[in-house]
Amino acid sequence: MSFTNDSTSRDGTLGGGRDSGGAGSGPGGDGNAPALPPRTLSLVAAVAALAGVVVYAVGLPESIGLFGSPLSDLTLPAALLVFFVTTVVASVMVTRAPWRVVDIVVASVLGVAGGLVFAVWNAFAWEPISGALAFFPPASAILVGVWLLPGVLGGLVIRKPGAAVYTELVAATLSALIGNQWGFATVWYGLLEGLGAEVVFALLLYRAFGWPTALLAGAGAGVTVGVLDSLLYYPTFSAGYKLAYVGLAVVSGVVIAGLGSWALTRAMARSGALAPLPSGRVTERV
Amino acid sequence: MTVPDVLGGPAAANLGAPLARANPVAKLAVAVAVSAALVLTVDVVTAGVALALEAVALPWCGLGPWALLRRGWIVIVGAVPAGITTAMWAVDSGAVLAGLGPMTVTEGSLLAGAAITLRVLAIGLPGVVLLATTDPTDLADALAQNLRLPHRFVLAALAAMRLFGVLAEEWRALTMARRARGVGDGGLGGRLRTLAGQVFALLVLAVRRATVLATAMEARGFGVAARRTWARPSRFGPADAVVALGGVALAALATAAGIAAGTWNLVLT
Repeated sequence: MSFTNDSTSRDGTLGGGRDSGGAGSGPGGDGNAPALPPRTLSLVAAVAALAGVVVYAVGLPESIGLFGSPLSDLTLPAALLVFFVTTVVASVMVTRAPWRVVDIVVASVLGVAGGLVFAVWNAFAWEPISGALAFFPPASAILVGVWLLPGVLGGLVIRKPGAAVYTELVAATLSALIGNQWGFATVWYGLLEGLGAEVVFALLLYRAFGWPTALLAGAGAGVTVGVLDSLLYYPTFSAGYKLAYVGLAVVSGVVIAGLGSWALTRAMARSGALAPLPSGRVTERV
Repeated sequence: MTVPDVLGGPAAANLGAPLARANPVAKLAVAVAVSAALVLTVDVVTAGVALALEAVALPWCGLGPWALLRRGWIVIVGAVPAGITTAMWAVDSGAVLAGLGPMTVTEGSLLAGAAITLRVLAIGLPGVVLLATTDPTDLADALAQNLRLPHRFVLAALAAMRLFGVLAEEWRALTMARRARGVGDGGLGGRLRTLAGQVFALLVLAVRRATVLATAMEARGFGVAARRTWARPSRFGPADAVVALGGVALAALATAAGIAAGTWNLVLT
């Protein structure tokens, strides 16, 4: 691969800690990303994983019921949430990269575009397609990737801490404002779906933005939406159905949101539209 | 179709109505409280009570039945099939009412289906009212000033929304340019490909405009570290607090009714 890399010619505000780090190139493999400092990365991952495991191992108390249901039913989702939030907070603190105005405006535009896609998708495509898939109820999970795309796309294009959460949140909020089947619950979903993608960018310390990162971010968002849906919208599914639902949601997240937003980012970078952003400067020669 | 068209705008509503006039953050609080309470449980009593209380509050929202239907049809379109799917596929319990292979409708699954439908409607209604009676600019002002969300992000999101209104014109220009050049394939697959290409072109245009807009905003001092002043002050008065508390009370009452009836269930496993 060859790159035209002129990251030195533009702003110097980007990526506060880009000079730190060891040798070798990160898993994303694009020329613009500085090498990952393996020690920091493993530290962040260890702290986050530990927090998650502690919650899972200790377990939420079965004895304390919340209005009749034992809290222990929520152990796995709670552990996941703790892991995600710890990772994001820890690596945002390690990374410190301020948002410029152009980052905010482009992220907002991507979010609004995503919200409009949601609106069309929710109103005209979701009901008929999921209805056609009703022969095997968990099969509708194969469609969830569409809802995860703005988050992964925002993370890939903006490359700033919080970009995935912000973009997905804007998209979800607009979708809820336009009006959809799920009303204001869409905003909660957007927040958590964005967090699911963000956790992958955070674990890589916002330095790797190649296709492996994109696919992993799609998978992260897929896990989140799969667990959320099977808890909140399909609580009546059997355990096997729920497992199938989460699995298909991950596949959908990887293919539609991961691969899709990677291809979209590359195409936009080639068009030159992303020139003021770091993601636009890593262009393959054509 | 421009974004303000999609968003509908407050034209169809009577904005003098007590609930329509409330601060957008207060209306938002109602939507947050109701959705948070109902997302936790799937049961007929909680969702039914919430929906009934919302219906009681509806006359003060300034929305006639037609305006409500026009703005909220998508909620109904989503609610009914979701309930039917649940009724057919949910874990069976109680007497079998109808069956076809693995699809069975039982008393238990019918109740679950009704609960899902009621829940979707009850979560959706406050959102429909919020949107139908709120101007996006007022919402952004309230979010930044009353809720103290980071104003750079709130205002950029508002600007992006406005940008897409402008882009409707671009879409027409793109369509005409492509027609004049004879770009585009026939057949269903070809048309979809052409549509995808045009959507991508619009996205690139939008991002280009966003980068120019960002430069223009910075040139006018947007995003500097100085204290920001506001052209449209947004106030959160006692009446707004009453509306917000009303939403919380509605959510609490519905939950209490569900618990009292013994149907409230955090997560059905």
